[in-house]
Amino acid sequence: MKYKTRLSLDILFKIVFKGTGLLVLALLGGILAMLVYNSFSFFMDVKPLDFITGMEWSPTAAIPKYGMLPLVLSTTLVTFGAMFIAIPLGIGTAAYIAEYASPRVKNLLKPAIEMLAAVPSVVIGFLGIVVLSPGIADLADLSNGLNALNGAILLAVMALPTIITIAEDAIHAVPKTYKEASYAMGATKWQTLRKIIIPAAAPGIIAAVMLGVGRAIGETMTVLMATGNASILPTSMFDSVKTMTATIAIEMGEVPYQTTHYFALYAIATVLFLMTLAANMLGEYFINRFRKYHAV
Amino acid sequence: MKGSDTEVNLAVNLAEKFTEEDPDFSIAISGGGSGLGITSLLNGQADIANSSRPLSEKEQQQFKEKNIALKTVVFAEDATAFVVHKDLPIEEIEVETLGEILSGSITNWSELTEANFPINIYGRQSSSGTHSFIKKKLAIEFSNTAKEMTGNAQIIEGVKADRTGIGYVGAGYVAHDPVASQGIKVLKIVERRGEKAISPLDQEAINQRNYFFQRPLYQFVLAESWEKVRPFIAFERSAVGKKLIEDHGYYILNKQSDEI
Repeated sequence: MKYKTRLSLDILFKIVFKGTGLLVLALLGGILAMLVYNSFSFFMDVKPLDFITGMEWSPTAAIPKYGMLPLVLSTTLVTFGAMFIAIPLGIGTAAYIAEYASPRVKNLLKPAIEMLAAVPSVVIGFLGIVVLSPGIADLADLSNGLNALNGAILLAVMALPTIITIAEDAIHAVPKTYKEASYAMGATKWQTLRKIIIPAAAPGIIAAVMLGVGRAIGETMTVLMATGNASILPTSMFDSVKTMTATIAIEMGEVPYQTTHYFALYAIATVLFLMTLAANMLGEYFINRFRKYHAV
Repeated sequence: MKGSDTEVNLAVNLAEKFTEEDPDFSIAISGGGSGLGITSLLNGQADIANSSRPLSEKEQQQFKEKNIALKTVVFAEDATAFVVHKDLPIEEIEVETLGEILSGSITNWSELTEANFPINIYGRQSSSGTHSFIKKKLAIEFSNTAKEMTGNAQIIEGVKADRTGIGYVGAGYVAHDPVASQGIKVLKIVERRGEKAISPLDQEAINQRNYFFQRPLYQFVLAESWEKVRPFIAFERSAVGKKLIEDHGYYILNKQSDEI
């Protein structure tokens, strides 16, 4: 090919790829801008302090109340419950795959975990209503099982593949020299795992947890179906809760456009966006630390 | 055609039967709640809105501002049934008591029956026409502890599994499907103390407008789409259409306001 053609082709592709990269930034910026713009319209009607500390969310009552505290607390409760279950299970499985499993089991387990990630969230929500809810009701002697515990268990199932994959990478990446040095000192496999490997893999494991948290916060369909959606301040894991995502999903369909209620849903979406962003950025920060470390 | 989940199954059946007679007529149907249907009319996303409630003042205002003219068709009468678990020892309930339960003033079944359990309310989301209808009829605000389910089926399944639950569903859902009505009990309603208790499954009572939670089901049609949808509305009024509506557990009153 002639030199000029090669040169212009080079420049052309540089522009195209630059364009796609900027498009992604523009998309993200556009979404954030739309959320913030609509939230401003909301804060003209309702004081931010009322929104943040209000204890009641009843936008269709005679005197509408737009307090987001019950919603934020519900999301936090369900996410924490999910992490409480998923973190030990996830790190344990990751340690098993990285350290103890034979190659045959590994080849079976890793694809199985990927497939767990592929199950649609509605299916998991459905299982929550049909299988888990009566189960919880029987075990805890309640009248029904549509509560935060149900949501937490289902979210744990959904966040597990993310946590396992990344934590396993982190554990796998700890240099062999560490393990060999530890065994040489006479430590057992368990002692090595507990005192050397997991602390060394800590940044990666924290990244895994943060990404799992991000996944759990943003999950909509599962919590919509399985938590009962009662907009009260949750007092225990056995209360019906209404998460932020479920609120938006269940009310966006009705709300007449351009009303205070409509803008309130945008305000919730903005808070949700910021929470997920924070969780993901923390995760990225720790992944970078673990990558730098890994390049030893 | 978009809108009421109370009407969506019926609408689908009507459309299927109609397209057998007139294969060139294409119609797409979806649910989402009466509020969604009306909003779709406002945004030009639908020609017909199924609604189980009349237009609110705010909505009438919005239509006027956008200069959109509507035609209203009443195509059936619906009754809302209150269901409880079949083992709960209660057969009938007064309207006032019902109001107190749903607004949260009464929280335990022991105040009404021998059973001693806290009451669990299974309701709909605020976009539901059924939800707004009950709210207006009882003149209450729903308690915050009421669970918001996404449809009739979910409420029925919830009450079936929960011996302390009470929920409200379209009577058509319970009457039409024998499987759905196993495991639950439909309560008879007493309007004022001392009056007769009326069940929504009683066709005679409905015909005489005696049941308290009875309401007309509307279809709002954009005036500019009227000629387009006229054949379908005529079909609803025909003998085949009427039978289909009644099979679904809705009621056709003898004198209904036609606008054909």
